[in-house]
Amino acid sequence: MSEQTDNPGPSQPEPAPLASLPTSKVARAARFAKTGLKVGANYVKHYAKRAAGADVTPEDLHAANAAELYGALSEMKGSVLKVAQMLAMEKNILPAAYAEQFAQAQYQTPPLSGPLVSKAFRDAFGKSPYELFDEFDPQARQAASIGQVHFARKDGRALAVKVQYPGVADSIRSDIRLVKPIALRVLGLDEAAVRPYMQEVETRLLEETDYALELRRGEQIARESAHLPHLEFPRYYPELSAARILTMDWLPGQHLKEFLATDPPQAVRNQLGQTLWDFYMHQLHALRQVHADPHPGNFLLRAEHGGTVGVLDFGCVKEVPADVHQLFTALLAPDTLADEARLLALLEQAGVLRPTDAPPLRQLYLRTLHDSLSLVGRPFRQPVFDFGAPAYMESLYALGDNLMQQPELRQQREPRGSEHFIYLNRTYVGLYALLTELRASVRTGAAEA
Amino acid sequence: MEKDRIKQAYLDYVLRHNEPPASVYLLAQQLNLPEAEFYRYYPNFAAIDREIWADFGRQARTQASQEPVWQEYGAREKLLGFYFTLLEILKQNRSYALQSLRRSLRGMPALTPRVLDDFRQDFETFVADLLREGRLSEEVAPRPLLQEQYPRAFWQQALFVLGFFARDESLNFERTDAAVEKAVTLSFDLVGRNTFDSALDLARFLFQSSRR
Repeated sequence: MSEQTDNPGPSQPEPAPLASLPTSKVARAARFAKTGLKVGANYVKHYAKRAAGADVTPEDLHAANAAELYGALSEMKGSVLKVAQMLAMEKNILPAAYAEQFAQAQYQTPPLSGPLVSKAFRDAFGKSPYELFDEFDPQARQAASIGQVHFARKDGRALAVKVQYPGVADSIRSDIRLVKPIALRVLGLDEAAVRPYMQEVETRLLEETDYALELRRGEQIARESAHLPHLEFPRYYPELSAARILTMDWLPGQHLKEFLATDPPQAVRNQLGQTLWDFYMHQLHALRQVHADPHPGNFLLRAEHGGTVGVLDFGCVKEVPADVHQLFTALLAPDTLADEARLLALLEQAGVLRPTDAPPLRQLYLRTLHDSLSLVGRPFRQPVFDFGAPAYMESLYALGDNLMQQPELRQQREPRGSEHFIYLNRTYVGLYALLTELRASVRTGAAEA
Repeated sequence: MEKDRIKQAYLDYVLRHNEPPASVYLLAQQLNLPEAEFYRYYPNFAAIDREIWADFGRQARTQASQEPVWQEYGAREKLLGFYFTLLEILKQNRSYALQSLRRSLRGMPALTPRVLDDFRQDFETFVADLLREGRLSEEVAPRPLLQEQYPRAFWQQALFVLGFFARDESLNFERTDAAVEKAVTLSFDLVGRNTFDSALDLARFLFQSSRR
């Protein structure tokens, strides 16, 4: 989750020293940190009362905590959490999203000091960054979720150097161990039932700390997507990278928000949107592994050649097993919705519906999923889809809210559906959100079928 | 130099046998040296231990200050630079460091292992200089009387770091790095201008007002 700003030059004013993480992700994480504090306070109150001799049960405590958590939940529009409910593949995937948010709130690391950055380089290369590069800016240019990005220059090339905070992988492990029991008890979930989801999130989070893996994946996806037009990947430098250091080209371009502020013409926005769409469809259907963090900070946009997209950060990549791919594609296929028997069969295969379900519950699930799939799959049913129509994203959000209100769904304490859907959903929602912001009109390829 | 030769032979012996030689005579014999010659340089083995530790500290300060950006560093970063360099040196000498600390603590369980006596003196001078520099750059708030105690407080921090390093089980002792970073940041937040100064200022003001 690293972010780069626009191309630096000696003429540019130096960015202010990094005091905190500037993305909206932070606001969400902070929101959760706050909840964490309140939950912590509830525990303190609980034990204070007990110490004072009052007769309180642990259930009071959990109820108080759950209230805080649900409070946080309803305030979090557009976050990863929202994603899970929005696509409504499974409302009970939420705890996994919780765990992730919690963990992220926990391991938002403070900026690394200059000497610590030097230490990371000495550990890896036996040299300081000032010896390794021709030029190295000790002031970080951007925060990444588990480290920071420095600007460097070597042999005339501008480089982005990502440096990771020491011991992050360790703390993620212990944070999850810490958070898991709390999250489970507060939400009243069964550990065994949630395990695959937790496992999935933990694996992705830990992978994100492995820069060697990120380098391999970044190179691979770039190589296999080289034929796609208007797409740009940074070159990675293995000889300047290590377990906690990742060196790549400093790509030119602007983040979505700044880019949109330059008021790009519709044709450019369409081309950018098309490029993103084609890139993601190629990853999903041909590569079977996706850049699962389509966060605006991970793309650099510019108007050159009618619109060019630079793709950063392959820290979070989801590999899609063949059966999951087949299932996911079939669920979004235009003719599935019309055919109730087929939809039922697919949902059973996905583990969302079970033969043992009571008929009313089964109907409820079916109706809910039908609604959400028809919304999410809408772009696939039209040859050209206009993500600029504001009604579309609004109806997606409204759907999420509706689902939250359904008492029958809220009572379900048992997660369902494939754990692989967590990151696939996140990918789709991230992509849709980007395209909506771009107000791009995209040829989805649906007409050819 | 003869002195360095004795020091090196002692270090090798400790590393190989995990304890000091049984007597000065044995070490001198190994070096083909009359025992009396040894005492021209060191009164006993404990003095060599103290000197080796003092060398670690000196070496860390020299190496850290050779960093090209050292001059641009503030006091906080200089202290961090010192710790990180020291940890690198200790990593190369970890067996000896742990062995000598343990031995020193066993003999005299005090707050500060005696083996660190010389190291400590240098360290406190170094910190006092850094703090003076920090007061000029306003990183450190001037607090007469209290600030005389700072070097001792920072010594406790150094002991904390050494203790953390000794117990650290993470690969490459990465968690010690994080501990240093956080501990030093906290200490400079404490000695910098903060709530405490504002509170003191108000208290002083109220006290003066009440005497009018």
